[in-house]
Order: sequence, then structure tokens, then C-alpha cells
Amino acid sequence: MLMTSPLFCCITAETSCPVQQAEKALEGGATMIQLRRKLASGSELYTWTEKIQKLCRRHDAVCIVNDRVDIALAAKADGVHLGQEDLPLEAARKLLGNQRIIGVTVSTVTEAKRAERQGCSYAGLGHIFPTVSKKKSSEPVGLKRIREISAFLTVPILAIGGIGTDNVCEVISAGADGIAVISAVSEAADPVKAAAELLKTMQTCSRNP
Amino acid sequence: METQKDRQHRFSLPRLHMVSNSPEHRYPANELPGLVREITSRIPAVIQLREKHLAAKSIYDLAMAVRGSIADSRSLLIINERFDITLSAGADGTHFPGNSCPLEKARNVARDPVMGKSVHSLQDALTAESEGADYLVAGPVYETPLKRQYGPPLGPELLETICSNVSVPVYAIGGITPKNARQCLEQGAHGIAALSIFRSEANLCDTLESFNRVLKQCS
Repeated sequence: MLMTSPLFCCITAETSCPVQQAEKALEGGATMIQLRRKLASGSELYTWTEKIQKLCRRHDAVCIVNDRVDIALAAKADGVHLGQEDLPLEAARKLLGNQRIIGVTVSTVTEAKRAERQGCSYAGLGHIFPTVSKKKSSEPVGLKRIREISAFLTVPILAIGGIGTDNVCEVISAGADGIAVISAVSEAADPVKAAAELLKTMQTCSRNP
Repeated sequence: METQKDRQHRFSLPRLHMVSNSPEHRYPANELPGLVREITSRIPAVIQLREKHLAAKSIYDLAMAVRGSIADSRSLLIINERFDITLSAGADGTHFPGNSCPLEKARNVARDPVMGKSVHSLQDALTAESEGADYLVAGPVYETPLKRQYGPPLGPELLETICSNVSVPVYAIGGITPKNARQCLEQGAHGIAALSIFRSEANLCDTLESFNRVLKQCS
């Protein structure tokens, strides 16, 4: 299963059932679901991944698991998303083979270059703007970093961090190939509508105007 | 496909099983390779790397370091839960806690390594064996503050019931000391597993010697 354009990834929030969150995000047009639940047991993660993977198939979307390569392998997910503290990319690539998706969080040019060299499928670049979803000790990297990295990176860039309908076109025109959001969809009053509006706005943005 | 029996022939499981860490008795991860060298130079052991507070990359790095510090070829390095790290780091197996990803699903993608499972009842044990576990860790056998979340202790009687109803090796865990280890082995346990007892370095030598004596007497 390949990533489809536009890249619109909804990441599950820590609150409420991740399967329901995925269902709504997909209904709104998400093309990628990332299951991210730092405190869940392996048993829960396995069950959720299987269910979300099925939902994704029905919507021509892909399902990836945050950090847990073991769960992605066991539940046959489309891939994983790895942070800089997770299993090294090269090790994950060996286990998952060349077909499956491996996204890697990057925030600097050096990290982006290394991730591409080691075979990532996309670079999750962030956080672009200040964000409430993840506690961050570092400063936002800003639109400038998207421009710097999109100038040389051949794999898609997924911008993350504080992105909504008001600023999605800024990140796309700076060179991002798509976006990843957490609270903008999962914590919206109407997640289906929030996802649909984000997607619609993103599709009207022009790249590199 | 290789069965539990085939794997048992390929891996002979040491009878001492050391679980590396616990939130209650935490020690710096960088002390672990030294500790493992100390233990495995005296007695073959299963070293279970259980560092739930560490990120995957740190566990992977630690697994590589510990693998290099295992002093004899009869000892095994087992990673808690993360069979991706087992495969990547070239460890010998994976230990699945009670609430883990289903062992049989992991087996589909990781055929070779040893897989063990924590069990807290006879039903757990039968299920784990049928899912393809190569060994079980049953407990808590005795009262221990670290394991209260798993309910009242099994006691030696239930340990005996579990051991006599499964054909895979069973390690007794929970409040195990050199003194009560003999009772566990007499109930049919293949070996004993423990966490904090391996911490007090002053007595480590004595502790291992005592276990060694009991294990030799009950073989």
C-alpha cells in the first residue's frame, strides 16, 4: 500500500478511543492514520492497529504505528513512524523490508539528510508552529526549515506542529508535501468536519507560488 | 514450522532467570553490562532486559552492550516485549508480559527466537502454551511488594498445578530467595526468576552460590 497524495496524516490523541478517532479522520478524508498511544499496553496497541488497518484499507488510506515496530509487524500495519529516540531507522528497515512505510521525525537539515540516506519513506518535519499537543522543549522550526529541507530532500515532507486551516497553505507553499495533525482533528468538536475542511483547504493551496 | 519441542532442543534454557530492572528498584542502565558479566561468569542465566522506562533506541543500545557482556555461551539474552529489538539486536528471545501483543502473532513474523510469557493462573499457562510459548514465568509465588498488582500469590500448590499441566519449562517468580527456591523446584519448576535479589552487589556472589547449590541438588 503506497502513500497517496495529498498526504494528510491524522495522529491519534491520548484521549478517547483511537479506533473511533481514526474512523472520523478517515471519513473526513485523512489519507494516513498514525496510531500513537504512549501509555497503552502491547495488547491494546495490537487490537487497535488491526482495526485501524482495516478501516484504512476501506478508505484507500494507510495505517502506521508510532514507535512500535513490533506491533506493526505483528498486526501487519502499512508501516511505522519513528522518532529520533526510537529504534534506529536502518534496523527498522531491515525488519520491515523495502515496501513498507517508515516515517522519521526530523527537525534539522542533518537529521533530514541522515533519514533519507538510511531509507525513510517520508520525513515528518516539525514542529513548525507552537503546538499544544506534544510538550516541546525546543523552539518551533518555522517555515524557513521547510524551505531549507525541501530544497534537497527527495522523499515527501510531512509538516507537523500547530497546523490548521489558517496556516496550512503557508506550509504547503514553503515546500511541504503534506501535513500531520493531532488535536486539530481529534480534539475538534466535529472531527469529520475539521478533517474535511483541512483537506479542502490544503487542496486549494498552491505549491511554491 | 519449528515447534516448541524443536526449539527446546536448540536452546537449552538456563535455570536462573534474572529480570533486569523494576521501577521500584531502579539502577542506572549502564551498570547492567557489568552486573550481567558478574552473573554469567558464575552461572548460566537467562538475562531478561526489562527497562520499561527507556526509549526503544536506548533499549537497543543496551541490548547490544549486554549481549557483549554475556560471559558464556549457555546464557541467553531475552528482551521484554519488544521482539523488534530482539531481532535487530540479535538477542536470543523475547519475554511477553501478560498484557502484550499476542505471542502467536509475534511468532508469525519472528520464527526463530525463544518466546516466553508471564502467567498468573493455570488458565493463563494453558493459553500461553497453546499460543506457542517456549517457557513460562509463573507468579507471584510468594508475597512480594513488587507484584501486588497481580493479586494474591499463587503459593507453591498452584505453582505445582501449573508445572504439572504444561510441558514447557516454568520459572517461578515473586519473592524467590535461595531459601525458598528449593520448594519451587520440588513443585516442578524448571528454574527460578527474580529481579531485586541480584541488586545487592555485596552479596551477589553468595546469592549466586546459594542458588547454584540448590539448583544442583534439585536436578
